[in-house]
This record gives sequence, C-alpha cells and structure tokens, in this order.
Amino acid sequence: MYHSLVIRRFYVHNFRCLENFELPISGQSSVLLIGKNGSGKTTVGFALEILQKIARGTNRVGDLVNPKDLTRGRADVPMRFEIEVELESEIYGYAITFDLPTGFKELRVLDERLEFGSKLIYVREELGTLVPEHGPGLRTVQGNLPIARHLVALPIIQQQSKDDPLFIFKRWLAHMLILRPIPSLISGDSSEETLEPNPPVTNFAAWFSGLLAQVPSAYSKIDQYLKQLMPDLNDIKNPLVGRDFKSLIVQFSTDQGSVNLPFEDLSDGEKCFMICAVVLAANSAYGPVLCFWDEPDNYLAISEVQNFVMALRKAFRSGGQFIATSHNSEAIRAFSDENTLVLYRRNHLEPTIIRKLEGLHVTGDLVGALVRGEVEPDDGP
Amino acid sequence: MSLNNHQPHVLVLPEDEANRQLANEFKLNLDQSVHTRIHVDREAGGWIKALDRFESEHVVRMHRYPNRFMVLVIDFDGSERRRNDVTSRIPEELRDRVFVLGALREPEDLKPVLGSYERIGSALAKDCREETDTTWNHELLRHNAGELARLRRHVRPILFPL
Repeated sequence: MYHSLVIRRFYVHNFRCLENFELPISGQSSVLLIGKNGSGKTTVGFALEILQKIARGTNRVGDLVNPKDLTRGRADVPMRFEIEVELESEIYGYAITFDLPTGFKELRVLDERLEFGSKLIYVREELGTLVPEHGPGLRTVQGNLPIARHLVALPIIQQQSKDDPLFIFKRWLAHMLILRPIPSLISGDSSEETLEPNPPVTNFAAWFSGLLAQVPSAYSKIDQYLKQLMPDLNDIKNPLVGRDFKSLIVQFSTDQGSVNLPFEDLSDGEKCFMICAVVLAANSAYGPVLCFWDEPDNYLAISEVQNFVMALRKAFRSGGQFIATSHNSEAIRAFSDENTLVLYRRNHLEPTIIRKLEGLHVTGDLVGALVRGEVEPDDGP
Repeated sequence: MSLNNHQPHVLVLPEDEANRQLANEFKLNLDQSVHTRIHVDREAGGWIKALDRFESEHVVRMHRYPNRFMVLVIDFDGSERRRNDVTSRIPEELRDRVFVLGALREPEDLKPVLGSYERIGSALAKDCREETDTTWNHELLRHNAGELARLRRHVRPILFPL
C-alpha cells in the first residue's frame, strides 16, 4: 500500500525510562503515542535525537549522553541504541552501545556497527578499533588508526561517494525531523542554509532557505498548503537585509490592500502552520524522512487540529513516517486504534511499557477512558 | 485549515469509535484540498445518542448553515429498518441534506474480510472517487445503495470535485 517506509526497528535499552524498549512502528506511515505525563513519549524522541545528532556530526560521547541518562543511574548495564531502516528497498542497520567503566565520569563507546543488507560496513569492538578482517568492503579511518572510545565513529568514517550506503544512511539519519517547536523563540532571520532543523525549530528561517536553495519547486507546495490555512496569504519573501543575512517577510493581501509582516510577528499557531508546510515540502523534496513531532497540536486553535494532523498523516502515506505524541482529544481522534500506541509506566522506578491501543480492547469513548486514566495495559497496574 | 461553514461542506457524526475511525480513514483518502470541506465530529456513544445529539445540536445549526450536509454513520445491528427509525426523527425540511450510512451489523465485522480501517477507508473512498461499488457492494454494506445514490448527487461534487 505504501512505499519508502523507513523504520523497521528501533530498540533502546537502559536510557532513562526506556529499558529493553522496542517501538512497534514497522509498516505504519503514521503513528500516535499517547500516555500519561512521564510515561516516556518525549523520551522516545530524545532517543531518536541521539542518533540524529551522531549523523549530524556530534562525535563526542559526552555531548550525546551522560551518566544521568542511564536508567536509575545503573552503571553496570550498557546503554544501547539500535535502528534498522528501509530506504529505497535497501535495509540499513546501525547499533551503538555505551558503557561507564568504574571510575570514569563520561560514558564511552563499547561497540558500534553499521550494516547494509547482509554486508557489514564497519564494526567497532571493545578496543575501539575498526576491525577490517570481519569482511570485504569494511572501512578504515586513516590507516586503520584506533578511534578513542570517547568518540563515535559514524561521523568520522570516510564515505566514498553520494552512492555510498554509508553516505545515504547518514544523510537520512541527519535529515530526521525531531520537532518540539517553541514558536516564541522562532524568528525569521537566517545567516546560513540548512536541511537540519533543530528540535525547537529556532533555525526555521535557515531551514526554509536551505530547502528552497536545494529544491526551489518546494515553494509551490509550501504556498499551496498555507493558502488553504490562510487564504489571504500572498507571498513569503526572504530578502537579503545585510551581507549574508536574510529575514523572512510574509505578505497578506485582500481586496482592501496588502500588509507585510515580519515572520516573528506571526502568531504562535501561524508559525506552526509554517513549520508544517515546510515539513510536508521537505518530505517531498528530500524524503522519505522520519518526522517525530512532540505535541503538534500545541498552539493551534481546536478547530484547526483535525485537519492539521490529517495533513501530516496524509503526506506521509506516500513515503516516510510521521510519529506524533499528544494529549489533545482532537488530535487523538484523528488517529485509529490501529496506529495508536499507548505508553505506560507504573512509577518512576519502573520502565516504560508500550502497547498497541488495538490490543487493549478499550470499548466506548476513548477520550473519556483517557480522562479517567483507564487506558493502561493489562500488565500495567 | 478549519471547516468552512459557509461553503458546501460535510459534517460526519459517527455513532461510535469504530465508525469515527472508519470515517477518518475515508477522509485521509480525499484530496487534501477538500479537507476543509469535511469534518469528522466526536463519536456520540450509540445510534440513539447520535440522534439525540443531532436533534439537540445539529438541527438548529443545519438551519443556520444551509450549505451543510450531514452524514450519520451508525451501526445497523442487523436491521435494515434502522435507517427508517433514524430518518423518521429527521425534520422533513432537512432530509435532503442528511444521509444515514453504516455497516449492516457493526464496522468491526468488516475487518476480518476487508482488512484494517485504513484499508477499508481507502477502498470506500476509491469507490466514491471512481464511481464504482467494488467495496460498497459487499454484503455488509450494500444496503447503503440508496443513500449512496443520493450522496453521489449532492455530496460527491463537494468531496470529489472535477
């Protein structure tokens, strides 16, 4: 039914509340995570963000994870992340494990590997050295020098070309959209271009510039979507206002005339419309991407929520994956039991449990059951 | 991108969660440009409650918004007479703008034979778009044929514009 589905497996162990945790989203183009505060929904996004940061070039372990991220500070158990994705019918698998040896203040890489199909691209074991004898085609780093254990190898392994599986995988991982927008901090100013928005999307203008620089036709998709939401939108301009410095201006027009508004003067909800438009355009332009949006209904009028969520769900049906978290009844109602996952935690000492809502057999009014705290796994309380 | 009440639009009132999910998945298969023309309302909690809500909330609003069409999605619970029971409570002057659809028993019965709600919603929308009745002609759905014919005349141009 769909093509270009991305995550086949995402596994996390010993990271905050996620213990032996597997996110069951294989085969789903859009998924909603629900659960009480503290159940672990946002933490799933933080876990994905660690892999995203690695692909975006953060290679020092201390800049990725800290000892306090170990579940209940449990230092004798390694922290592990595994992801398996399908991109253009090819399977990529990446796994990294961190440990905290006695007497150390920073976590270190225990092992790390990248696979492409049945082929091992590189593997790193306890001594921190790439191990070429594991098979043909393995990469080395500048004469097979050992890599210090406080560094992750993925950002520094040399890629051979744009067709190199290493490049394709790393680029996909870097392009993941992990979004927790804070509209009040988003301005229209940019001095660079990027395809890598940060979680609060404070570099929105740089992302907008980067997308249009790479794929100018993406503007028509942005424009088309926004005009449905704001029929008086006329144009979005991004003029140079200084040397290498641009500032977004949004022009609205009616029969009565037109007005130019600096981007920062838009309302919080309107800024979220803009972000949504760029997400949709990005998935078309350089996708399929994985988009994890923590509470996309935040800042929106209740009358906007259903269609906002539906637009995202619909866009990702033709490629990529959309994961949302929400406490909003309208957003929850925009999904089905088939694509809703319930996260649950008995208390702060126990790990997150995740179950498909479909399997919980919640009868009657789902939102009412959520309000009453009745949606929990059979093995929950 | 909220519903535009002043242009022709469709408000879906589902009896329960299952019908709401089916309606949502149907909506997902419409062109995004018509998403402002259809809204799936919160579920009523049973067909009688759907009718109660229709009478208490929607009759007055249908008079206020003459471009509104309503689709009540209910369970027939094995009785095709259910449609008459519902229609009899719809004011005469609104009957042209109100439609009653649903599975012969309940939507859950469709899943073993037609797949997930995502698949069923997609198949039903495809039939409407292409003016076929491949899925609508299933034995659990074919009792809706009369309403579908009315929907084709009044609602299809709203949700499937040329």
